[in-house]
This record gives sequence, C-alpha cells and structure tokens, in this order.
Amino acid sequence: MTTTYPQILFQNRHADRIATLEEYAASGGYEALRQMIAGGDRAQVQAAIQEATLLGRGGAAFPMGIKLSTVAADAPFPRYLVCNADEMEPGTFKDRVLLHADPHQLIEGMVLTGFAIQAAKGIIFIRPEYENAARILEREVALARQAGYLGEKILGSDFSFEIDVHRSGGRYICGEVTAQLNALMGKRPNPQQPPPYPTESGLWGRPTVIQNVETLSCVPHIVRNGAQWFKDLALTESGAGTKLFAVSGHVNRPGCYELPMGVPLSEIIEEHAGGMRPGSEFKACLPGGASTQFLTRQFYDIPMDFDSLKKAGHRLGTGAIMIFDHKTCMVAATLNLMDFFARESCGWCTPCREGLPYIRDLLQRIERGEGEAAFIPMLEEMSKYLWNAYCAFAPGAVSPLQGLLTYFRDEVEEHITAHRCPFQASGSGALDNRSQTD
Amino acid sequence: MPKLTIDNRSIDVPPGTKVIDAAEQLGIMIPRFCYHPALGSVGACRVCAVKVLEGRAKGIKMSCMLDAEDGMVVSTTDAEVVDYRRYVIEWLMLNHPHDCPVCDEGGHCLLQDTTVSGGHGLRRYQGPKRTHNDQDLGPLVQHEMNRCIQCYRCVRYYREYTGYEDLGVMGIGRRVYYGRFQDGTLESPFAGNLTDVCPTGVYTDKPSRFKGRRWDFERTPGICIHCSLGCAITVDARYREVVRHEARFNPFVNGHFICDRGRYGYPYASAAERPWQAALDGQSIDGPTALQAAADRLTAVAAEHGSRAVAVAGSTRCSLEAMAELSRACRGQGWRGPVFFEETRHARAVGTAANHLLSGPAVGLPAVEAADLVIVAGVDPVHEAPMLALALRQAWRRGAAVVIVDPRPVALPFDFAHRPLPPGAIGPWLEGLGGAAPVDDNKDQDDLGRRFRESDHPVIVAGTDILPAAALAQAADLAAGRVAAGQKAGLFCILPGPNAFGAALLDEDHDGLGQVIADIESGAVKALVLVESDAAWRYPNQARLANALARLDLLIVLDYLASPVVEAAHVFLPTTTVYESGGVFINSGGRAQQAVTALRGGRPITQTGQGGHPPRVFEPDIPGAGQQAAWAVVRALAAAVAGEASPGDLSPLEDLGQLHPALTVITPAPLPPEGLIVTGGFSSLPTEPEAVASDAGDAPGLEIVWTERIFGSEPLAARAPALRELQETPFLLIGEGEAAAWQLADGAMVAIGAGEPPWKLVVRVVTDMADGIVVLPRLPGWQQVVLPDGRLQPEDIHQRS
Repeated sequence: MTTTYPQILFQNRHADRIATLEEYAASGGYEALRQMIAGGDRAQVQAAIQEATLLGRGGAAFPMGIKLSTVAADAPFPRYLVCNADEMEPGTFKDRVLLHADPHQLIEGMVLTGFAIQAAKGIIFIRPEYENAARILEREVALARQAGYLGEKILGSDFSFEIDVHRSGGRYICGEVTAQLNALMGKRPNPQQPPPYPTESGLWGRPTVIQNVETLSCVPHIVRNGAQWFKDLALTESGAGTKLFAVSGHVNRPGCYELPMGVPLSEIIEEHAGGMRPGSEFKACLPGGASTQFLTRQFYDIPMDFDSLKKAGHRLGTGAIMIFDHKTCMVAATLNLMDFFARESCGWCTPCREGLPYIRDLLQRIERGEGEAAFIPMLEEMSKYLWNAYCAFAPGAVSPLQGLLTYFRDEVEEHITAHRCPFQASGSGALDNRSQTD
Repeated sequence: MPKLTIDNRSIDVPPGTKVIDAAEQLGIMIPRFCYHPALGSVGACRVCAVKVLEGRAKGIKMSCMLDAEDGMVVSTTDAEVVDYRRYVIEWLMLNHPHDCPVCDEGGHCLLQDTTVSGGHGLRRYQGPKRTHNDQDLGPLVQHEMNRCIQCYRCVRYYREYTGYEDLGVMGIGRRVYYGRFQDGTLESPFAGNLTDVCPTGVYTDKPSRFKGRRWDFERTPGICIHCSLGCAITVDARYREVVRHEARFNPFVNGHFICDRGRYGYPYASAAERPWQAALDGQSIDGPTALQAAADRLTAVAAEHGSRAVAVAGSTRCSLEAMAELSRACRGQGWRGPVFFEETRHARAVGTAANHLLSGPAVGLPAVEAADLVIVAGVDPVHEAPMLALALRQAWRRGAAVVIVDPRPVALPFDFAHRPLPPGAIGPWLEGLGGAAPVDDNKDQDDLGRRFRESDHPVIVAGTDILPAAALAQAADLAAGRVAAGQKAGLFCILPGPNAFGAALLDEDHDGLGQVIADIESGAVKALVLVESDAAWRYPNQARLANALARLDLLIVLDYLASPVVEAAHVFLPTTTVYESGGVFINSGGRAQQAVTALRGGRPITQTGQGGHPPRVFEPDIPGAGQQAAWAVVRALAAAVAGEASPGDLSPLEDLGQLHPALTVITPAPLPPEGLIVTGGFSSLPTEPEAVASDAGDAPGLEIVWTERIFGSEPLAARAPALRELQETPFLLIGEGEAAAWQLADGAMVAIGAGEPPWKLVVRVVTDMADGIVVLPRLPGWQQVVLPDGRLQPEDIHQRS
C-alpha cells in the first residue's frame, strides 16, 4: 500500500495534458498575487518566503528569503529575476514534469518574486531540449498577460512585470548562476566568482535574482497558505514543504513524485517507485543528480531533506534519485558520470578542465583491467584537489568519485588486482570501447 | 596598510594589494600563468595557490584573487599547497606536446620553468592528448595550439586590453581553442604582444622563427625609434644581426607592451641593400679617403661661396649625439643649419610644442591612461603613435571620455566622440573650449567645455603633423589654463620622429629642408651635408628634390639606409644604426632615453656550407665594419675641415647645455634606466608661432591632408618585409558631396599626380570627415605626387575605372 501525501505542485497534474490557466485559478492560483498586489506590501512576500525556510531546489539549497533580502532597498533599477529552467543535471527531470503539469504556478511565483524585489523583467532560461516546455511557457505567459497577471500595470496596480523565455545554447555550465547570467548577456558562459554577487550586480550590472523552477513554483503556495503551512508539509523538523523526487534506475516505477521533505529514502524506493526490479537488490543511489555522492545501504532509511543529508555528509542536490542494483559496476557507473563532466567542463580553470579527463582516463583504465595500485591514491588526491577549482562544478563532479573511493573501494581494488571488471564476464566493461566524446 | 606574513616574513602593503604582488615585493615569485599585471586577476590557472594559515578564509587559496589582510599568515611552501601546485602543473602538461626542442619559446618559457621548478618531472598520464589544428594568423605571429595551457591571457589581452575582436576563445572543456573564426591576418596592430603574454609557445614571433633561442641572443635594452613615444624594447641580436624585438617594461612610457611597427620594424639594419661601404663619386672607397675627400671639397665650396653656402640637414631619427655634433659643426664652421624637419611648418609646430612642453604641464602615456577626459587634437593615434591608442583605450576602460578633434576619419578600438574639423579650425576650437573666447551658439562645445573644466585630471593630446604651430600653442594654453585654475591637467604631444624633441631644441633656424631646397634653387646653397635624412622618402616632391640635388656642387650623404640620395651623393659615408652605436633619443614627453649598443657593427654573418657552423671568433677588423656612428663621422668631418689633427675623444654628450640649456641634465654618464626629463630653457625656441593660412575657403579644389599610416609611412619599418605585407593599398578619402560632384565612386581605382609610374589609389567615400578636404596616405609613391599648392583638383585625377 502506497502512502499518500498532499499534492501541492502537482495538484493539477494530469496524466495526459497540461493544466489550464482556468484550472490553476480554480485551485486558488493567482489568489496570492491578488492579495499581495492589493495589499501592496513587497516585504510581506520576502518575509513569508524567509519564514517558510524555502531552500533553493536547483541543487544548492540556498535559502531564497535570504537571497531576496540581499537586494538592497536602494539598489539600482532595472532589477531582474531569472528563472533557471536549464535542467541539465544528469538524472534530473523534475522541472520538465512540473512545467508540463501546471506552468502557471511558476508564472505566478515569478510575478510575486518580481514584485518582492521590484524587478521589471523576468527571464526564463530554459535548456534547448525543452523546446516543448518553452513553447508551453510562451503560450501560457501570453495567456497570463491577457488575463492581466503579467505585463503593464498588473491587476490594475502600479506594478509592471514582463517575462521572456530564453532558450539556452545548451551546455551544462549554463545552469551555474553566474555562467547563466553571462550567457544571457551574450558572453561566454564562464562562471564568475563573487563578489559582486548577482543580487548586487548581475545582468548588465543590475541586481538579479536567480531561482530554480521548482523553488519559484513554491512561492504562490507559501504566500497564499502561509509559512507555517509550508513547513508543516515536511515530515521532518529540519525540512519544509514538499520536494519533487525524480526517480530513475533499477526500480519498477521510475518517475517524478511529489513527496514531503524528509520522506525516508526506503519509502521512496519501496512504495512510490514500486520497489527494486525483480532480481535486483539495492546497492546504492545518487540522491540528487550526478553531482552528489553515492548513498549506500547504510543510508537506506535516511530522511530525504537537505539538512538530514548534509548531517550525514551528503547532499540532496536536485532530488533526482538514481538507483543502482547489485549487478551494477560502480566503477563503470562513476566513469559514465566522469565522461559527462569531463565533456561539460567550461574549460575556464585547470583542475576542472584537465583534472576531470585525467580522472576519467584512470577510471577507464581500471574498468578495462589496466588499472594500477598507484591510481587509487592519485584519484584520492585529485578528488580532494578538485575542490580548489574556480566554481562549484568540479567539487560536484568529483562527488561520485569520492563516494566510489569511500564506499566501494574494495570494488575498485578488485578491478585492479583481477585485471578485469568483476561485473563483466569477459573482463571488458560495457564502457570500454566508448570513444572519448570530447 | 595591511601587514601580513608570507613565509615567515612580514610586509606592509597598500589596501587592495593581492597576495601574489605582496609576495613579489618580498622577492617570493609565486608561480603564475593567467595572472598578468596588465590584465589583472581572473583565477583561471590555479597555479598561484598558497595556503592561508591565518586569515578570514583558511586553506588553499589563489594568491592572485586574494586581497592582503592585516594579520594574514600565508605559506607558499606548505607541503599540501606545493603538492597541489604540482598537480596543477601536471594537469597543464597532460596535453602538451613536449616539443620544446623545436619550440622558439624554449629556454624562455614560463611553462617550462614552472614545470621544472614545480616538481612535475615525470609524466604519469598515459591517455591520449587532445590535438588542435593551427591557423595562419598572418606574417607576424605563428600559431601552435597544441602547446596551449588555456590561461586565457591571449584573449584577455587581445579583446579586453587592445579592443580587437577577431581573436577569441571557442569550445569548452579540454577542447578550448584560441583563434579566429578562420585563418587570416590578425587585425590588431598590437598582435605581436601575444608572443610576450603567452606563457608558452602558442604564439611565437614569426619573422624570427627558428633563428635562435633566447640564450643564443645578445639581449640588450633598447629604445624603439619608429615613432616619437620611445617605447622600451629588448633587442635580440645574433650573428651581428638583429633578429627580434621584444617589449620591455617601462612604467613611465609604454608599460608592458609595444606596437607591431616597433616590434617588427628592425630588418632595415641588416637589409641586403644596406650601403656598408664609403663611396666617392659613385665608386666604393675606404672610409678615411672618402672622409678626407669630403672635407677637401667642403673647404673648397666654403672658400669659393662662403661658409653659409654649406647647408647641413639631419632628421628626427638622428640620435642626440649626432644632432649635437651637427649643431657644433655648423656653429664651428659657420655652416647653414642644421635643419631636421622636412617642412618649415613642421619645424614650427614641433618647436612650439617642445617650447610649451619644457615649461608647461607635460605628461607621459601613463597620465593619458589615468586621465578622466582626453581631448585628442590633430592626431590619428593608431597611425602616428600606436601605443597612444592603447593608452586611450585603457583610459576609456576606466570610464574616461575620449574626444578626437581631427579632420580625418579616425578608427580606434573603443567608443569616442569625433569632431571632424579642418586643421585650421582646431586651434580656435581648443581656445574656445578653455572659455577664453566667447562660445557662439555651439552647445556641443559648450557642454564639452564644461565637462573639461569639471573633469579632475584631463589630458590634451596634440599632434604636430597636421596642426599649425598656433594650434599647438592653443592646446598648450588650454592645458596650462586648467593647471592655473588648480586642476590636474596635462599636455601630451605627438611629434614626427623618435628624436623630434631633440631636433626642436637644436634646430637653429626653425625652418625645414624645403627652405634649404629653395636656397639651393636660388643658388645660395652650393653644398649639402645630408645626415640620416629620409629626404627621398619624406620630402613631398621628389622631382623638385632631385633637381635641387643635381644643382649642388657637392652632396655629402651620411646614412645606413639605401636611398636615391645615397646614390646621388658625391661622397657617401656609411653610418651605424642605433643597434650598433646606441644613442640618446628624447621622446615626445621630453624624456631623454638611452638605447644601449646591441651588437658590433658589420655585415651579418651568413652560414655557408651544409650545416657548417659560422665562425665563432671575431677578428678585431670586422668585414664591412668601416662605418661609424653619425656623430663621429660628422665630428671627424668638421675636424678635417678645420684642419685639426684629430677629432678629439670628448663624448658628444659633453657640454650639451651650451647647445641648449634644457639639455644640461644630459651628461656623458649613462642615463638612468627611466631616462631623464629635459625641462626649462624656454628661450631659444620660437615663441611666435607662424600665422595660420585660413584663406583657403574659396580656393578651387580640395585641401589635401596627408596622413600617416602605421605600416608604410615610417621609413625604417617600411623596409621590413613582414610589415610590407600589411601595408594598405593607397587610398583617397573623399566626402560624399565632393565624390558625387567629382563623379568618384567608392571602390574605384584612380591615379593622381604627374608621377611615373602613376600612383594608384582606391577611392573611399566617407562621411566622418571635415568638409573641403581629401585625405591621402604617405604610402610609397606619395612622393611622386606633385601637387604644389597642396590642393587636389578634379583634373589631377585620372585613369578612372
């Protein structure tokens, strides 16, 4: 029997179609906007978000309320709001599902946030593969404008706010906040180390707030129902709200599930995702996309919220859970991820640009049975030193490797001593012949 | 003043100092690739890592990104950070081709040095290396991308510092590629600096490719003599041949960089056609005989026609030593001169500029960079003083407004305002800006005048090529007026040639070669001593020059360049270049700088046989080494004329104060590395500028404004084969209305003037130009265009196509 929980972001989710503006409005949509516009209290929006301890759902878990508070009262205009819909973290597909389910909560969330920081313009930065979602957004933005929720003098007030949909050029690094701003300005999307922070000097030197699709979609619900209601949605004291978990891997029902923050990992796997596939036993999972560490059996019952995982030395990331069964070679799985990261490094700093291909090469040799004992300390050193890269890309990229070396060291050593991959009958891994894609 | 400790040593540094710079002040050279003082900190290469033991953020940090804090304790030698840096170097070397034995950067390579010193001695990476295709970037810079370590210095320099956009970074990850969208010559005339900023051998100097390693070269500090700025260079010589220039850091003049004319202009010194041998009446002869013959003939001319019948002409590329000896010879022998400028108006303009610089608020290029408002009057920066364009760009990057007041269309790599006024109107315009004259209904100028008066440290840049002397005085008065009002204003002038300032001080009559030619034509001058003068290149009427020279009883030429005047000389005496005898040159800011002798004179040694080594032992008598410095030849000539047994062994820099009081500071002792500023001694210069001819308004035709081009106008660099490839097709710039009236279409090829072969030009119809003028370039062939009144008529244009 599957435990059921209140559906907030997915309350209007249909199996076969997108929720309409009318359906969204009927479920209470745009009420928060009406209240705020009528009350005219910008600070109230920010206060509600801060009190609700809404943490960024894009992976970094930065408190949105605190971010909004760093836009100084006397900061220059125009100010910008960017919605990060560049969902490129491997294994993550929650924003896509959300956009295809009920896009108006994002639009309302953006208008409310724009209202809070007195922004004139919102930009949805969306990955090019999400062309359908981009078209949906363009259509629904136009409808919202027609309905008076967007554009000049929203709902008859003095507040005007526009939303543009911008398709990314399509690289992983464009999901990084400062790289995304550079991309929007037509520059090369290299990250930019703060200071200044985007909320001080972002797009064209103006204050800019960037939030993930899911985070912004929570805003109307918080404003309408209150911070305490939002906090109470979570199962744990440390959590707040619900979380979209995008589950993939060796389970019976992969998919995107809206569950309370703090729901145990075991419950997600066994109940919501339908359990492990026949003949499969749980070995490990990545809890929040490719930039997180492997969670092993010892963490099977861990409450899935940002704080609990952090305390256990892990990160919830995007909440994209990739589940591996006992037949998975963890070296091959890590190699697969390294291949992605080595390809997607922006090339700005040395550790990331050169270190990741180096790590990939060593893992590839280990997987092929050509590994040497000396590789393990090299991998350990590099996974440590890649934390001294320019941005957070490299530390995220080596997280699975650190997990591999911490929890599956014996598996790595077995590859080296046996001169073959123990999961492959021939000793030749499935990834053996892959060409280096960079 | 934060006080921090680095490797157990304390230092106080100004707030905002980066740890990497603080360490350097202690003599601790933290490795760096992406960091460059002119380009700033970006934290890309990660090799400057240090460990912060005490401070706000502890652990491994990049010293280029880290502001020094009070009480901070930093270690560069901590085992963990040393190991980290070793890894960074290993990463950088993963794809490096290890082709040091065939790389021109070898031996002078920051990557090579850092790899060795950083402890990465053994290659562990066994994977495949990424490889790239290289591009043809033109005749100056060689591209070899496989050596790249992706420090981003090249694109940061090229795009951010110089403002050109045809070189960029493409691709991500380990495929990051620095290049152009397609093969082609780099558009920036500052591209050669890529060879200096690149920490390895991706960009190497193409003309000197495979000509030697740094340890093969004799490397001496030199001064660039290809314009009046006097940028610092390092001269690389091998086998008695200059094979390369590098930029040399000089905080008072050029900073870290030089332009491509300065970097690649040296081949004149070893040109195959260089005249090495003295000649008498067209026959090669030994030097002493030629000198004695010259002295005898000069004595004869003076005896017959008087000493004033002997005229002496130098040029602005003469060293101060040569100028001083020319001046002494004229004073001692009663000869006429010396003149140094081609035309009287240049002599007057430069004299006026020098006059005001000696006593007024003269500043250097760094002050231009730091200015908050720059008004550039009568200068096309890229073409007349290229590094000025870069200095202006740095000012612009810091927020300064740049206003160009010039009749010509001007292109610069940044945004600026352009006021296309005719040359004669610029002086009054400047005067109006100072508020001295009433501004009649000119709101634009009114606004600018207000901004000028309100700016904190404005600089006026004035040129001497197209501006009349009066305008120079007005520019100087404008700057001086603001200084008198308590403002930090500066005056910066662009002069025609590396020692034009010195020439202005030693110019006796303040007229030009044109006046000497007129005096030859009138019969007043019978003998001419032409010293390192580019008469055949710079004098705008070759036919007249040739006729005048042919009328002379005696033409004595001293030079190191082959030219028609060398061939026409009765007596030719070879001289040495700046590389062979050094010399003092006073730059446009009044800074006397000394070029050090870079090599012994003589013909370059060429290698003979199949791979046989050239001789390594030099005989004291070098073949082809009969030539002397121009100053020594002039002094010997004067001594011989005077009947003295020996020219004496006094330095030519002795007692310079007797020639001009401002030169008193210069003595035979070596000049300090930063040079000396000449100042004061206002009196001997003309204080009355010539009147401006402003009656041209209703004359027929269009006024010709001759304009300098970065490649092709300056006679030394114009002899460099690589730079000749970059010379533009000569052009005629004409305004839209005039082009329509004269039925000239943009892109049409025409020929003008009476020269043979005719000088061909491409017509360019432009809009951002003063009315009533056409612009023609001083590019080879221009000397044949005889348009005596300086105006172009429709009938002067033929061969329309």
